Amino acid sequence: MTARDAMLAAIRAARPEAVPRPDVRAAVAAFPAIVDLGGAFRAAAEAAAARVISGRRADAAALIASSFSGGGRHVSALDDTTVGSTRQLPHSFDDVELFVCEAELGVAENGAVWLPLSRLRHRSAVVLAQHVMVLLDRSRIVGNMHDAYTIIDVARDAFGAFVAGPSKTADIEQALVIGAHGPKSLTILMLD
Amino acid sequence: MTTAGRRVLPVLDDTPVDHAAAAAAFNADEARVDWHDTALWFMREKRDHAVDLVAEWEDLRELASRIKEHTLSRLDDYLVEFETAATANGVHVHWARDAEEHNRIVHRILEERSVRFLVKSKSMLTEECGLNAYLEQRGLDVVDTDLGERIVQLRHEHPSHIVMPASHLTKEEIGETFAEHLGTPVGGSDPDMLTAAARVHLREKFLAAHAALTGVNFALAETGGVVVCTNEGNADLGMALAPVHIASMGIEKLIPGVVELPVFLRMLARSATGQRVTVYTSHIHRPLPGQELHFVIVDNGRSAQLARPDFWRSLKCIRCGACINTCPVYRRSGGYSYSATIPGPIGSILSPGIDLAKYSTLPFASTLCGSCTAVCPVKIDLDTQLYRWRQIAMDAGLSSRQKRVGARVGALFLTSRPALMFAGRVLRMMQRLLPRAAMRRLSGAWGQDRDLPVPPRESFSAWYQSRRHSGGPHDRA
Repeated sequence: MTARDAMLAAIRAARPEAVPRPDVRAAVAAFPAIVDLGGAFRAAAEAAAARVISGRRADAAALIASSFSGGGRHVSALDDTTVGSTRQLPHSFDDVELFVCEAELGVAENGAVWLPLSRLRHRSAVVLAQHVMVLLDRSRIVGNMHDAYTIIDVARDAFGAFVAGPSKTADIEQALVIGAHGPKSLTILMLD
Repeated sequence: MTTAGRRVLPVLDDTPVDHAAAAAAFNADEARVDWHDTALWFMREKRDHAVDLVAEWEDLRELASRIKEHTLSRLDDYLVEFETAATANGVHVHWARDAEEHNRIVHRILEERSVRFLVKSKSMLTEECGLNAYLEQRGLDVVDTDLGERIVQLRHEHPSHIVMPASHLTKEEIGETFAEHLGTPVGGSDPDMLTAAARVHLREKFLAAHAALTGVNFALAETGGVVVCTNEGNADLGMALAPVHIASMGIEKLIPGVVELPVFLRMLARSATGQRVTVYTSHIHRPLPGQELHFVIVDNGRSAQLARPDFWRSLKCIRCGACINTCPVYRRSGGYSYSATIPGPIGSILSPGIDLAKYSTLPFASTLCGSCTAVCPVKIDLDTQLYRWRQIAMDAGLSSRQKRVGARVGALFLTSRPALMFAGRVLRMMQRLLPRAAMRRLSGAWGQDRDLPVPPRESFSAWYQSRRHSGGPHDRA
């Protein structure tokens, strides 16, 4: 018997009496809704140490330029014509100072943005860059994580991530340090 | 607590754990105990603040509990569904009955691809399996990349907590370790400086790694994908850069599908650290271009636990650590006092299932206050299971002689009213006549740090009888 079949047989023999699958959709429909999505998103993102800047879609390019004063190499997934990350070695983004991309949606309850591979284009850039800037259409903000998962298709892309704020750690005496291994800052441009 | 000496991996050593003795050693440094207690309670308070902001918290707990119970009740079906979907996604799925098989599979994958250098993100499962030692013995270089895990790895220690692996160490001790290994200034202990040094040190490792191993927080049967939650970005750096990604998961990580996932994601970080959500919640469904992706599904005693009617619900655990932070015993005895991969209340109901003889004292490392059960996001009845393991340990003759004799003698008096009345009279008299020091010796471990209460003049029974006949205030009706 293979390890697989032995494990499945052991589990089948061990499993408790059937418990029905709860109706999650029905249960969460009764949860309270957030009224001010933009305001709640901003508060939650800032609590996660992100910087949130509001603006108009037409001014996006100017906002990106004015919101980051640092020099160095900038990479943007917005105007990158290479499809996917096949053309470049993921390590080649090691020296990126600023990475810019657009989120598919934002979540008001926790300030997270959904970044699927198709929006990132380069999987490694979003964690290798020293600073990350994410564009978010205000109309793409949902209330809670249940709402988010009814919209996104998690299995469509090879990879996708909810990202809430810059990387952080509290592993040394619970002291919060922003910028662990990943980006030191995350700026969200909330666009109308 | 001493910092000297290499720690033997708990799973490789079957000496019975004496939790009380280990706790007593930890308690020798009172200032340190207070520091540890306060630090852990701070996490509990942060959890409370976060939870208070979610009106539907109790509904989420109930849902999460039922989802996990449902999944466990047909786990074999969900595992097959998961395997089918993952395989269709281009993932290599492996099955491991025990720790040894898991380690062999991981080693084989690495060896076949000539991998000499592996970066790992947080995975309690690989701690449980002793993977690092296994690979190092075979000439591989393994670097743990979670900051806390890297700290304990440099010190040749093991995590003392499942969420905050180095929470037993002060920043000064970490500063010493980094000065020795990473060249930070001697005497430096600023967390920002130390974290920045680790960032530089580990970035080199990420860029040089030939393979990345991560744990798994949730596995989706429906889509064949896995979800990994981290704050530092270390798991993401590892898996985004290395040409081989291996994700190791226990069988209990399964949930049916996408609709169930947010129920857990909304509670995991809030319960663990008081954050609304972890910084990175990464969903991995297919290998990146040019990458290989492997999932290793591990049993290692879990199906045996699933077969135990009193304990199968322990497999609902999502490893948030809330029960650990709130536990009055953990906070004052430290993670190492348990000598188990998973310390604290949840570890004390999981470990006896792995080796009852070795871990029989752990279910007694609890006040049975039930605080763990109250904070558990998936409603595991931790205190009930701790109590049940005590009964099993007693029945198996695994408790100390003192405890067994004590329980037998206690039962004699508690089942005979005249004997109980007599014993009460004797004890009240002894307490009045004997010096405090003598009573303290007689009251065992309990009396070491406590004074016995002032004895009443008479038993409650006698008091009640006298009031009844003299027409006390309750006789008016």
